[in-house]
Amino acid sequence: MANFKKFWIPILFIILAIFPPFFLSQYWLHVMIISLFYVMMASSWNLIAGFTGQVSFAHAAFSGVGAYVSGMLAVNLGLSPWLGILIGSAVAALLGLGLGYLCIRMGGIYLSLTTLGFSEILRIIITNEDKWTRGTMGLQVPGFFAEYSKVSNYFLFLIVAILFLIIIYRIIHSEMGLSFRAVLNDELAASSSGINTVRVRVLAFTISSAMAGMAGGLYGHYLMLITPDIPSLGQMFLVLAMAVIGGMGSFVGPIVGSFALEILSEYIRIYGEYHVLLFGLVALGVARFAPEGMMGILNRRWRGRGLS
Amino acid sequence: MYLTNGMVMGVINAISAIGVSLIVGIMKVVNFAHGELYIFAGYFSYHLSTSLGLPPLLAMPLSIFFVFLIGILMERTLIRPTYGDEMYSLIITFVLSIVLQNAALLIFGPYPNKPPNLVSGATNIFGLFHYGNQRLLSFGISIGILVFIFYLIKRTWFGKSIRAISQDRGMASLMGVDHLKVNMVSFGLGAALAGAAGVIIAPIFPVTPTGSSAISLTAFVVVVLGGMGSLKGCVVGGLILGILENLGAAYISTMYRHIFGFVVLILVLVFRPWGLFGQKTQ
Amino acid sequence: MEGKGALVSRRIIEAKGLTKSFGGLTAVRNVDFHLEEGEIIGLIGPNGAGKTTLFNLVSGVLRYDEGTLLFNGVSLASLKSFEICRLGIGRTFQIVRPFLKMTCLENILVGMIGRQNKKDSQKEKKEEAKGYLKFVGLESREAILANDLTLIEKKRLEMARALATQPRVLLLDEVLAGLNPSEILQALELIEVIRTRFKMTIFWIEHVMGAIMKASDRIIVLDQGEKIKEGKPEEIANDSKVIEAYLGESDA
Repeated sequence: MANFKKFWIPILFIILAIFPPFFLSQYWLHVMIISLFYVMMASSWNLIAGFTGQVSFAHAAFSGVGAYVSGMLAVNLGLSPWLGILIGSAVAALLGLGLGYLCIRMGGIYLSLTTLGFSEILRIIITNEDKWTRGTMGLQVPGFFAEYSKVSNYFLFLIVAILFLIIIYRIIHSEMGLSFRAVLNDELAASSSGINTVRVRVLAFTISSAMAGMAGGLYGHYLMLITPDIPSLGQMFLVLAMAVIGGMGSFVGPIVGSFALEILSEYIRIYGEYHVLLFGLVALGVARFAPEGMMGILNRRWRGRGLS
Repeated sequence: MYLTNGMVMGVINAISAIGVSLIVGIMKVVNFAHGELYIFAGYFSYHLSTSLGLPPLLAMPLSIFFVFLIGILMERTLIRPTYGDEMYSLIITFVLSIVLQNAALLIFGPYPNKPPNLVSGATNIFGLFHYGNQRLLSFGISIGILVFIFYLIKRTWFGKSIRAISQDRGMASLMGVDHLKVNMVSFGLGAALAGAAGVIIAPIFPVTPTGSSAISLTAFVVVVLGGMGSLKGCVVGGLILGILENLGAAYISTMYRHIFGFVVLILVLVFRPWGLFGQKTQ
Repeated sequence: MEGKGALVSRRIIEAKGLTKSFGGLTAVRNVDFHLEEGEIIGLIGPNGAGKTTLFNLVSGVLRYDEGTLLFNGVSLASLKSFEICRLGIGRTFQIVRPFLKMTCLENILVGMIGRQNKKDSQKEKKEEAKGYLKFVGLESREAILANDLTLIEKKRLEMARALATQPRVLLLDEVLAGLNPSEILQALELIEVIRTRFKMTIFWIEHVMGAIMKASDRIIVLDQGEKIKEGKPEEIANDSKVIEAYLGESDA
């Protein structure tokens, strides 16, 4: 019975996901695309923060790497974005690997500070080297399709997001996932129990930054404008808030969080730029009172009903 | 002249850094919201002295006191439950910093504000160049605060409890130290120091809501450079960073000014994580 | 290795001149010891004598500064703790460290990851993990989070996890701490069963003197980082140096 649920519910969602382009306005289709971008970002950040306990603040920076590498290749070498995002993702993965190794001797605080420093260094360089990156004016880049179409972009994002989620799901439910969680719970005990904790941590960094890189590339070529806002701490905060509010350490949490917050922010935008403040307050409340996020609350309800 | 600028910034950095170091040392919590407290104090100082017309001599300590209270409030409501869970305290203070940043934007507006100087004019330094009196005064006040803090930590009973707790919380508690209360007050103190730094700097460089991240990061770099848990380290680190940033900005490039701090941070964390004076922990 | 016949015991761990310092403090100084296969060896000494540090050196959590440490003739000098675990040295911790947010079954499964037999299916691995849980009496707690266990259950879980890594040598750090007398008896029985069933060599730190004296074949005494005495339990119990070391502690 449980397997039935696990298999058919996602299929149901995927089938449902095919329909939006046919009845949503261009505006809401755009919101869906952005939500899918955040799903990719939040889920991959969850892999490193929620599953191995390494709270990296460099995630948005890696998406920026993916975006700018792909964008600059397209602008300067005429490379197709389809190839560009693959290269961008690879570069991000490489940097993630490096950062992971750099941080290997560090615990929570130091690791986070290092990733923060790394993120800011990247952003400052991108902003200042405007000969290459056009800095704050933004780099204009070609889109994926000869004819710009939100529907096509939507399906592109959907397919990649589903791919990422399948990969993440497989990881979580494999021995790799177990070793990730072991490192999260107690790195010393894990290592004394035979887990190669260095490999686990670096692997998490590499996989998650590869995904962030690709997500960034997709985002950049969809908007057709790449700005230093992408690798900013503001973006990092949104990704973090979505994962935290949705539920860190769960598979569905970041997905729910991304859609919920992105849609919510569109509604709030009508009133002004308060959405960041609001999300912050909600995230604060969640982290303080319900650390397992929305999914945690829902799980507890379901488990409660099951017992009675 | 740049050297002097560096030194002034240096001691201010030191105060700021001690604020962070205190909290990290005792509670193993990195207060990401440090920069926001700093600018809040600056804003309070500005508003108290201009809108309410209070004399700066009163506005400054009052602002620091307000920030102290905010710090205590933060500790009680948000930080206290996260003890032992490093990940969540990190996340909470990070989110808090974003919330406060946005709140500052909303409350105080995006424009830089500058409270009035306490003194004006310039003095001749060693007959070599003129230097603003306000800056000299800031330097003097900063030194005064540093001396006070050193005294507080090294000589008073409160300071001893802080040091006891940061070394071994269990033992300290057995010896009758009310560690929860000390936590709360230390957090407040950490916040107050951030505030003090903000208040001292505000007459020289105006405060803006967007500057807070850079401030937090500078404080962290100083703490890491000097060594977590070392007061001496904060002072030395603060001076080094202050001088480095000013000289670097002057002779290399102003745009990359902030990068120096980050590069230093990462280099230290990778090669010598316990900083200059910190303790090697296993 | 050295000869035929069950009478010749192998030295499964051989350490000479082990030394470890932290800054100015020498925690372990010039310690020689050996463990023979199938033995139960007790490690005692006053607080701060360096016992857990010695364990940390053997299991690879810390690197020793000087000396040699051999496991089945292989030097452990440059090995990381997970490599040492995979070679065959398992351990438990003074303050029990199960994976709190994972179920008991998952705790065991983690222990099984480092072994190199990748051929078993998910189902077979789960069955094997359940076996380990059954061995320590936790089979009914399979789906319970480690955080929700009682202290003795957590200790049993940690033991089972260590066993799941299929060690040849088991380092037990104060397993009896915090247990009541009947639980202590259960634990001692379990340890003896482990020795005979798995042909395990057990190296054991303990403060509950009665228990460790009764259960061990041999005792090593550390004081201030140095080995001050080694021998059979009866010899140790009456030794004046040992008594002095402990008396010195009670003054402090």
